Amino acid sequence: MNFMVEVRNLHKRFGHHEVLRGINLRVKPSEVLVIVGPSGSGKSTLLRCINGLEHATSGQILIEGVDITDSRVDINAMRQKVGIVFQSFNLFPHLTVLRNVTLAPIKVKKMRPEEAEAKALQLLKRVGLEDKAQAYPSQLSGGQQQRVAIARALAMDPDLMLFDEVTSALDPELVKEVLDAMKDLARSGMTMLVVTHEMGFAREVGDRLIFMDEGEIVEEGKPVEIFTNPKSPRAKDFFSKILSHL
Amino acid sequence: MVDIDERWKKVLWLLGILISLGILAFLVVFFLRFEAGRTFRAEFFNGRTFRKAMPYVLGGLSLTVRLALVSEVFILVVGLIIALARISKNPILRALAIVYIDVIRGLPLLLQIFIVYYGLAYLGFKLDPFVAGVAALTICYAAYEAEIFRAGIESIHKGQMEAARSLGMGYMQAMRYVILPQAVRNVIPPLSNEFIALLKDTSLLSVIALAEVLRRGTEMMGKYYNVTPLVCAALCYLMITLPLMRLVQYVSNRLSEGR
Repeated sequence: MNFMVEVRNLHKRFGHHEVLRGINLRVKPSEVLVIVGPSGSGKSTLLRCINGLEHATSGQILIEGVDITDSRVDINAMRQKVGIVFQSFNLFPHLTVLRNVTLAPIKVKKMRPEEAEAKALQLLKRVGLEDKAQAYPSQLSGGQQQRVAIARALAMDPDLMLFDEVTSALDPELVKEVLDAMKDLARSGMTMLVVTHEMGFAREVGDRLIFMDEGEIVEEGKPVEIFTNPKSPRAKDFFSKILSHL
Repeated sequence: MVDIDERWKKVLWLLGILISLGILAFLVVFFLRFEAGRTFRAEFFNGRTFRKAMPYVLGGLSLTVRLALVSEVFILVVGLIIALARISKNPILRALAIVYIDVIRGLPLLLQIFIVYYGLAYLGFKLDPFVAGVAALTICYAAYEAEIFRAGIESIHKGQMEAARSLGMGYMQAMRYVILPQAVRNVIPPLSNEFIALLKDTSLLSVIALAEVLRRGTEMMGKYYNVTPLVCAALCYLMITLPLMRLVQYVSNRLSEGR
């Protein structure tokens, strides 16, 4: 069995603080893995390690069988296979929406500008924003900016997409449009790791859910099973707090 | 309350006008009626000397401007390189940049000019004064502008670098296409102020026999035994610096509005 992502005994320490304490994880191609847990549990750090934004203190991270913690591996080449969407969008404010999406394909993949633009327009259409191609990020709503960020990541043709609390900074009425774009992506067969507090999304789209707390994976299974029947006290406590509002 | 404020405003206005008129009247009387005033006028604002000296002093302005412009080109390039070294992850590069910036900023510019011009001459490199002048100004100002570039780069949110890197761009690509275009906007006002300072500091190059504005002013002062040529030099600098300062103010306002 080939895994898209395989994490082996991953530890990450910031100074004296150990954020990840031995994470083991395997994600199959086309699987949608939802990661939940209280803040400070290490969810975001795990994602950031998987695309090399943070260096693992110890352990291995294999993307399509290649260990990205190996210093001989070309991290820039590996990152092209792993797209990430951030909580704070991080669009390039000095570039139009179209240039945001085409910049990396042109500069990194050396794609011809016309080709990159045609592809970008297609991706923007997919997230419902083809009419905003010439706008600047500051002229868009948060939900629109986040959908541009998704299109921008997809423009590099990644095999794996990471979503780091992408709806947490959005006004409630803008959350749905972003989740819809992600659902569409999940249905198309993209492998996704999604850190989120949107339990509705987790239940509907997630193939598997892991619950993290204090740098460890505490529980793992089908989203519905974990929601309805969490085994550990920590998971019970967490889900009783956030699911009571549903 | 409003009425009182309005009345106070009027009183203050009136007071301001009265004081200004008083000062003006004093100056007129001082310059026209008193011996000291007349001497001052003859030494500082001597019409005959002005007419003779001004064309010559003004002739130095093109050299002053050329020195500033040519130096600025090198300063921007060297300053940016030092700034990139200063923020690099390589500890050796970073240490070199810190030492350079601190040492240069800790030395008087005049001393740096002497070292470049006379120091190199002792070693057998007789530099053309223009080249030596540009080199000295570049060495000095690059240290200051490196710090401005660094502040500009560090003011860009780190999410921008992460977003660029996560798309597969290398560090230098991310700098070039994502970080620097945004940083430049932030550093235009401080860099413009540095340029004005640089333009004024070209006057220090008068010590290495460059016939720029100040040098020509002091030459004429010696020739006519009169301070008026220095006033000519002052006017030459103001002709450039005053409009530039207004321009910088205008551009800064525009940039901060567009945020």
